[in-house]
Amino acid sequence: MNSKIYSVLIGGKAGEGVKKAAQVIANLAAKHHLYTFQTDDYQSLIRGGHNFSLISIASERVFNTYEKADLIVSFDKRSVLRHLDDMAVDALHFCNEGDSDDPRAIPLPLSALMKEHYKETAHISLAAVAIFAALCEISLSALQDIIKVEFKRQVEENIAYASAIYAIIKERFPQPQMSLDLTANPPAKIYSGNQMIALGAYAAGLDYYYGYPMTPASSILHYLARIRDSHGVHAIHAESELAAINMAIGSVFAGRRSAVGSSGGGFALMEEAYSLAGMVEAPLLCVLSSRPGPATGVATFTGQEDLYFALNQGHGEFARIVASPDCFERAFSLAAELLDLAWECQSPTILLTEKHLSEGLINVDLPLDEVPPLFENKAAFTEPYLRYAITESGISPLKFPGADHCDEEDIIKWNSNEHEECGVRTDEAPNIVAMRDKRDRKYETIAKATKKYQRIAKYGQDGPIVFAYGSTALELREAQKYLPFQIVVPIYLEPFPFEELEEYQNAEVIVVEHASHANFARFLKEKLDVKVKANILRYDGRHFATQELVQKLKEAFDA
Amino acid sequence: MRNLTGPKENTWCIGCGDFGILAAVRKTIQALNEAGTPLADIVMTAGIGCHGKIFDYLQMSGIYGLHGRAVATASGIKLANPKLKVITFGGDGDSLGEGLEHTMFAAKRNMDITLILHNNGNYGLTTGQASPLSTLGFKGPTTPMGNVEKSFTPVTLMMEAGASFVARCYSARIDHLSQILHQAINHKGFSFIEVLQPCVSYNNTYNLYNERCQIKEDMPTDEEEARRIAKSEDPIYLGIYRLEDRPVYHEQINIEGEPLTLAQRKALLQEHS
Repeated sequence: MNSKIYSVLIGGKAGEGVKKAAQVIANLAAKHHLYTFQTDDYQSLIRGGHNFSLISIASERVFNTYEKADLIVSFDKRSVLRHLDDMAVDALHFCNEGDSDDPRAIPLPLSALMKEHYKETAHISLAAVAIFAALCEISLSALQDIIKVEFKRQVEENIAYASAIYAIIKERFPQPQMSLDLTANPPAKIYSGNQMIALGAYAAGLDYYYGYPMTPASSILHYLARIRDSHGVHAIHAESELAAINMAIGSVFAGRRSAVGSSGGGFALMEEAYSLAGMVEAPLLCVLSSRPGPATGVATFTGQEDLYFALNQGHGEFARIVASPDCFERAFSLAAELLDLAWECQSPTILLTEKHLSEGLINVDLPLDEVPPLFENKAAFTEPYLRYAITESGISPLKFPGADHCDEEDIIKWNSNEHEECGVRTDEAPNIVAMRDKRDRKYETIAKATKKYQRIAKYGQDGPIVFAYGSTALELREAQKYLPFQIVVPIYLEPFPFEELEEYQNAEVIVVEHASHANFARFLKEKLDVKVKANILRYDGRHFATQELVQKLKEAFDA
Repeated sequence: MRNLTGPKENTWCIGCGDFGILAAVRKTIQALNEAGTPLADIVMTAGIGCHGKIFDYLQMSGIYGLHGRAVATASGIKLANPKLKVITFGGDGDSLGEGLEHTMFAAKRNMDITLILHNNGNYGLTTGQASPLSTLGFKGPTTPMGNVEKSFTPVTLMMEAGASFVARCYSARIDHLSQILHQAINHKGFSFIEVLQPCVSYNNTYNLYNERCQIKEDMPTDEEEARRIAKSEDPIYLGIYRLEDRPVYHEQINIEGEPLTLAQRKALLQEHS
């Protein structure tokens, strides 16, 4: 199995530690010169049901999962049955004794060993880690070391149990299933997309993150709450999304870099205040991590239905900034950029992503050198200070209440009503036009400001042109290993990076997206007048498995 | 000290109770300033409604935010800079209707801000619809046959929610209001003041309040008495109903100090990754 991509599938009931076992396997692989990509398929429930995690493991970069697994570990009958057809040629499918009579499944005495090694019941899923280690030339001591870190509770029993399983596997399968390429040097640490977003914003000065739990955005809130003391950042779980964003606007008024995040439903609740941010010119980073809708939709799965929702977020006319990361590194750098752009342009910005990236896991280095320097507006303050001073760029210098640059005479008024330069309300026609024109001049200022960043990404030089945005680009990059084509990805969606994409005007393209209405294709037609040869759509909440996507692309290319 | 009155034309109805609130607030801010609080350290937020216009009439910094959300906005300001004294103005529709959740949670958290509730018993700016504090039988454009919903009692509602300072005042008793307001702003914790505020256009309660309002100098002896007298309709007791010392939110979640520099953040990320 050298130089190939080794696929692992771990399945079981919710609460059995499936996701955890998969994460530890990926961790162990990352520590042994291997690249990994993990995605978790789980339901919106806490106990029971069926969960499974997929991990792709290879000696070169890997961006997606595969439909057939080389190693499957099933922890219940349902998992065995469900994944018998997911076995690659020569795959090994392990299960607990008694869970299956199928000759393709290999029974192991997992329950018997648990009884032997534990006083109390423990998570059976640790077995998967031991099986993986034994099959992949990972030493017993490396397995024991990771157990000491990742399975601290009942650690002695865990080590004994895992070591017993390791010995059984080594004895029965002495030939390693995958050899390690010791020359490969992948990043050692694994991050989720949401962690990359959180850390990118943090690197660019994020002080306050406000949210209300909603999958798949919740883990940003959880992660920042977890690193509060070590990193000096605050994650506040507000009473609602309405509270979260209005609190965040209060925090930026007081001069602190702040962000909010949710999925479609929660973002819809934030919409009025998003418009407020446009009106008061609040610098605010907003993360929208999509799942299939409408309404509650499919809570724990992926989708890209919210493109136009993001582009048109907030009632009324004002300049918007929307961008979507096409990979994990970009999740970090884009979060940093969008937070800084918010401050440079005094506008709300949206980082649009989806569950597949948010909750996907990969070993990756933090692109720390791509964090922009903290934006500082060097323009002089008017005397007296006018919050909404009319300027050529549309940007009025910011003062913060209680800051050193304020004196007793300074009045800083942010106003949700249309306002005069000093920030008091106005209904007067000339004032309305003057202030609207000032804000509208920000369209050009924003377009210029975004140009210093990478606004599109391209992968591959030859063959048909395939457009995608967001994490769909990851699926395409994996498919590119089997089929020549060019991937074109607008990272910035608004303002649209026309200069960089002009060459594709009227081009014949294929568009891949996770929506049934082909919104992204419609968007590209609108912006570039492209000729869409084929739409490849998936809208069942699942990502494309690699070979499936390769097949669909082939059909599209040959049509 | 600078003039706290702005140049904006005042468009409240002649005789509106809001004038009394504005006068008391000005007086209080002046007193706070004389006692050493810099004006730059006092900010306000307001919702949308007649009460919100105070934002234009008071020469102070702040956010004139969304209907119902002024308490949330104020909470965000306080968390970002605990040094600031944050005063929130809310209407009864604003703070107990559209934005009730924020009012309840600010009290629950003991967020260190002051909410002045302009209780005029109706939605004045939108032409007199029934509010969460309208009396039974109140007739407005949405209740032409009379309001059938029982009113909240703001004082007991906020006591239950956990406000650590709860008081009731009357907009026509400016000195009393100003004195309570001073205590409320200096109180560490969530301070709630219900201000009875006649609406001359849609709910003129001057005669009723002038007859029934009675300033109670002593605090109620216990919570039970506080709740009982808060419900009394005649007399209507003005004064402090609760004043307690309870940990405030921003201190419990350790908000302090200056934000880390980008270099410090980078170093931390390098170390952890």
